[in-house]
This record gives sequence, structure tokens and C-alpha cells, in this order.
Amino acid sequence: MSAPSPSPVKTGPAPAARPPSRERGPGRARGLKRRYGHPAFFLFPLPALVLYVIFFAIPTVQAFQYAVTNWDGYSAEYDSVGLDNFRQLAGGDDLFSNAMTNSLKFMLVVVVFQTLFSLVLASMLTRNSRSSTLLRAVFFLPTILSSVSVAFVWKFIYDPNFGLANRALESVGLDALTSSYLGDDGKAIYFLALTQIWFHTGQMMVIFIAGLQQIPRELYEAAAIDGVSRWQRFRHVTWPMIAPATGIVIAYTTIQSFKAFDLVLGLGGNPPQGSLDILSTRIYTSFANSEFGYAAAESIVFMALIALVTVIQRRTVKLTQSGA
Amino acid sequence: MTEHSRPYGLSRRGLLRAAAVGGTVATAAACAGPGTTRGGRSGAGAPSDVPKPVSGRADARISFAHWRAEDKKVLAELIGDFTARHRGSGVQQDISPAQDYQANALQRLKSGAVGDVLTAFRGAQFADMLKAGLFTELSAQTFADHYMPRHSRGGRDAAGRLFGLPYQLVFLMPLANGDLLEKAGYADPPQDWDGYLDLCDKLKSRGTVPLAWPGAEPGNAGQLFNSMVMNNAPHDDACARIESGKAKVTDDWFLRILGQYAQLRPFVQRKAAGTQVEPAQQMFARGSAAMLATGSYHMAAVRQLDAEFPIALVPPITVAKGERPRYVGTHNATFILGVNAASKHATTALRFVEYLSTPSVATRYANGTAQHLTVTGVTYENKDLRDTQHWLEKRTMLAPRYQIEDIDMLNAVEGACAKVLTGTSPGKAAEAAQRVVDQRRRK
Repeated sequence: MSAPSPSPVKTGPAPAARPPSRERGPGRARGLKRRYGHPAFFLFPLPALVLYVIFFAIPTVQAFQYAVTNWDGYSAEYDSVGLDNFRQLAGGDDLFSNAMTNSLKFMLVVVVFQTLFSLVLASMLTRNSRSSTLLRAVFFLPTILSSVSVAFVWKFIYDPNFGLANRALESVGLDALTSSYLGDDGKAIYFLALTQIWFHTGQMMVIFIAGLQQIPRELYEAAAIDGVSRWQRFRHVTWPMIAPATGIVIAYTTIQSFKAFDLVLGLGGNPPQGSLDILSTRIYTSFANSEFGYAAAESIVFMALIALVTVIQRRTVKLTQSGA
Repeated sequence: MTEHSRPYGLSRRGLLRAAAVGGTVATAAACAGPGTTRGGRSGAGAPSDVPKPVSGRADARISFAHWRAEDKKVLAELIGDFTARHRGSGVQQDISPAQDYQANALQRLKSGAVGDVLTAFRGAQFADMLKAGLFTELSAQTFADHYMPRHSRGGRDAAGRLFGLPYQLVFLMPLANGDLLEKAGYADPPQDWDGYLDLCDKLKSRGTVPLAWPGAEPGNAGQLFNSMVMNNAPHDDACARIESGKAKVTDDWFLRILGQYAQLRPFVQRKAAGTQVEPAQQMFARGSAAMLATGSYHMAAVRQLDAEFPIALVPPITVAKGERPRYVGTHNATFILGVNAASKHATTALRFVEYLSTPSVATRYANGTAQHLTVTGVTYENKDLRDTQHWLEKRTMLAPRYQIEDIDMLNAVEGACAKVLTGTSPGKAAEAAQRVVDQRRRK
């Protein structure tokens, strides 16, 4: 056995202070404690971590496993089908492609108009006056309702014979604009989007108000001194300064619109007709149809789509705001 | 103390390691084969041993899983009576909304933790539950003899063995306002397609909507399909043949059905595709619509809306003049009662089903819930039930829509009919539906 080679001798000066992780003994322990607090604090995230692993991490991993099987959700036996489920989704499933198109249309309309309306409302109600506070509460009210209640209310607004919408149009002589709303295959998804916008605009308005109230008044005063127009003030001061709020609103609205599940079932029944079928309801239908493996494959595509849309949106928002 | 020892039992790095190990274990657990935790029989369905007729006392606390929240009170009264008769027994109702029950019951019930006595919708759900081995065979139970034999078919497997008892009987054909039909000259309902169109025409000319159709709710809108198919289909199992690929939506017989749907266009309310079921009921109850295209299960709801006119069941008979129809109506035997094969209290569960199958108990349930039942010897005190009781003896077809067990195929086929009724051409609608059926069959 050869003797161990001598370790190189350090000739340079010793470092003045080592990082805490290299320390030893009670001194290091005190350093750790000072830096991170008592180690028992690490136990606090444990319940959340356990719940996250059980209800999110495991099901997500399982989804990948089920997606390559034809498991029906209850049998002990199943076959591996490789990528067949994904091939079917890619080219041979009109119902899935219809749901994906509907989801994208729905998301686009909801994200654009919900963001726009909530920003307009927030701009008008930023001041903490009594009337603003009252109006904020009024606009926020739909958010606290359950999806089922909202669906119930809007079912009666949209009813072609007794509903509020057609009656209002008829009372002002706009009979030509009356519609069967959710029964109109070409427009049903937009009427669903309208309900979603009504439901959540107040919630997004609150986020924008918080963002607007953070903008220093000096910036507006400087803009006023420079003699800028209202539009220029919005474009060059407000819009860049509310970038974080806009990012949150858009990302949240996107995910919220993809998750609009109970509202769709409330308005369109279970399963909803094709014109109201979005990806979340399509996955649920596959699940109810005892196609657990296929539903898992649909879920993975859905997950990838949400990630892709979110990334594109964030980049778009960054680009518009950096160019402002 | 070595370099790696720590003054405390837990460090951040330690926690992260523990999380990593936990995650790995969780991932490994996640990779366990699907379904490996399921107890009970394998997917073959039927057990080899047929349980003997129930004997012994009901002395356990059991769970009764169902979706009929509207029946909770009546069932609670019956349960009170049952538990008074059987000391030590108890029945807890486990009620889910119908849609949830349809989607999740199988997963919830297979452990046997809930639903010692369980229920199933006829069609896909019953078939899936049977395949999963959830039902105890009831062929040897003497209380099964209390049921009308022709209405218990929905609770049997392919070999004819009895696993469930379809408890409720609904007639899935349009309700009609007897007064308005009489004024239109049809005190006796028309017996052919021309007569039906003539009736609709006369009702319309009197300013009444002939047929209120809840087009925005596929579940209710699809009930009209049963009557339209019953005399048009070349075989009783024609809809099952569509699912199996032996028949097509583009076949002549189905195109004839779609053509007849197109003829009904002028006779449904305006913008019918967007009408929910409650407004359709409202139109019928107010007398602004003469018929409601759903089924007998809406009689009680219409009465609650203060409808006082006599209610009749008037299905469209789609045959030509002079031709004898094969069927005069359609029914569905549903709310299939059964005993969970995984139940630890099978005796009590069987005793409870036996109790519900007793004619006197069934009579209380029927009148309390305004439902016809498949149990023989029931006395109907509710006027509407009594007036329509004669349909129990008529030549009615078991609702064909439930022969299609795949939800997406059913929606495509029924959806084709709905689209034709609201303006799409029969050929185009049929092709679109057949395309979905073909795609589903390839999966």
C-alpha cells in the first residue's frame, strides 16, 4: 500500500472569515442559529410540504405514469399503450381539439377584457374616497359568490324566452340583437367568457389598485411639469410602474380561465355541449367515461399548454413594458 | 465532534435531504401500478358463488349511497321504521349530487367504506360497477320476486344474472296538457307521424308553443330521442349497434329520424337551443306550451309550479298512417339498488334492500316521492301517478339512449338530433356525429 501523498501546503494568507458552513463547533452553531433562527422553525413548512407532496407531487408523477396506459380507473389490470394516447390527442380526437380551441378563445377573451376592465375600474377608483370605497365593494361583490351561484344567476339572464338579456334588448327595440346565447354554437364560448369576466373583474381591480397606489406621486408631478398628456402619463409612468401588478393579473387570469370548471358545468350541464366544452371539462368527461389513462394524457397536454401560454404572456408583458 | 455532525438534530440541509428522500419515496409510491390497491374481485365482474337468500338479523350500522337528495326525507322516515324493527341496526344516507355520483361513485364505493347499499344509474355506470365487481349477486334472493320481471332487465349482466334491482320507473316521453290537446281536437293522442305533426300545427295555430324543448341541457333535451328512435330503429338494440360499429349514424334509418327532427323545427319555442329546463317547465305549467319534451319525472315539478290541468304522456309516434307502431312509449328503470360486494355488513344491507322491496314500503316511497316503482303491488295515491299508472302495462321500450354507454358517443349522437332541430342539415349533422363515433371506437 502506498503512503498517502502529502497534501499541498498552503502558503498564502488564511482567509479572514470562512463561510458559516465551514465553521465548526459551538461558534458555528451560534452562527447558524443567528442566520436561520431556531432549527425547530424548519418544521413549520413540513405540514405544507407533506400536503404538497401527497396532493400535488405524487398525482403529477402518477399522471405521467397513467398517461401511457389504458387504465380505466378501477380495474386491477391495464395495458401499456406507449404514446398512443398522445398520438390520438394529436390527430384523431375532434372533441379534444374542439375543447382546446374553446379554451384558447375563452382564455384570450377573458385575459384581454378582464385585464382591461379591471385596469380601467382601478384607475377610476384609486383614490380612497368614500364613494370609491363603496364602488370597489360593489365591483368586488361577484368575486365572493360561489361559481354555482353565478352560473345560476347567469342561466336566467341568458334564457332566450324569460331572461333579462333578451327582455332588455327587446324593451329598447333591439330585437335583432336577441340571441339564444349559450345555445348559439358559434358564440356560446364568448357568452361564457362574459360571465367569467363579470365574475372576476372586481378581484383583479383590487390588485391593480394596490399597484397604482404604490406609484410615487412625484412621478406624476414631474410629468405634469413636463406638460405631458393623460395618455402619455399613462404610457410612460403608470403602465411601466404597474408592471408587477399586470404580470400577476395576467398570469392569474390565465390560470383562472383555464380552471373555469364549475362555472362551465353550472351553465352548460355535465358534460357540457361541444360549444362550451373546454379542456378542464373535457378531462373530467374522459375521467367520468372511465378513461383514466387517456384523461391523464389530456392533463399533461393541458399542463404543458398552460406553461407555454404563461411563458409567452410574461415575455409579451415584459416587452411591452420595457418598451414603454 | 466530526465535521459532519451538527449541534442540533435538524439542519436546513438535513431537512432538504429528508424532503428529497421523501420525494423519492413518494415518487416510487406514485409509480406503483395503477389499481394495485383495489380490493375485491378482479374485473371479470361476476362472482362464482351466488349468495344464498338472506337469513339472520340486521344488527349493523350501514351506509346507503345514492344521489336522490329530494328523497332524503321520505327515506329517513322509512329508515326510522326499519331501524325500529331491527334493533341495533342503523342506516346512514350518503347523498351526492347526481352529477358527482355519476362521475365518482365507482371510485368512492369500491373500498366498501361507504355504500353498503348502493345505487347506480342504468347504462354506463351500472355496466362499469358490474365490471368492477361492486355488486353482490341477488339472483337467489326471494325479495327479487317482488319486482316486475320485464322491468328488472336493467339490473342484470350479459348472462342474465341479477345484480341490481331497478327501483324507479320513469316514462321518458313528452308530458302534455290534456286541456290544450282536447281543444286542438286531439282528446286521444295521435297514433302516427302525420297526426303528430297535425296536432303540433293545430296547437301552433291556436297561439300555443306545441313543444317546449330544453335544448340547453343535453340531459333533458335528449329524452325526446327515445320516442323518436323507438319505432324508427330497425332493431331494439340499434343504438348499441351504433356504439359497437355495426350501425352508423349515417344509415338510412337514422337519417329518417333526423329528417323528422327537422320537421319539428317550427313547433319548438323560439331560440330553443338556449332554453334551460326550468323555463321550459315554466312555459308548460303556464299553458304557453302544450307539451314538455322531457319525461314523467317532471310531473311533480310542474305541479309545484301550480299547473292544474290534466297531464298526459304523449310520445311522438313516428310511423306512417295505418302502420302499427312497435312501441307506444319508452320507459327507463333506474335507481338500481344493490348490495356492495365489499360490504362488511352484507346481511343488514340485504335486509334493508329486502325492506325497500316490500310492497307496503314501496307504496310509501312512491307516493312520498311522486315516482312510479318497479315493485309489484304498489298502490298509487298521487293523482298523476294514478292517472299514468296504466303505462306500466303498455308496450313501452326500455329507453334506447342508455344503450350507448360511452358518454362522448351518446352526446355526439343525441347532439346530431339537437343540431338538426335547431337548423343544421340532417346529412351534415350525421356525418359530424359519425366522425366522433369512429374516433371513439378507434381509441
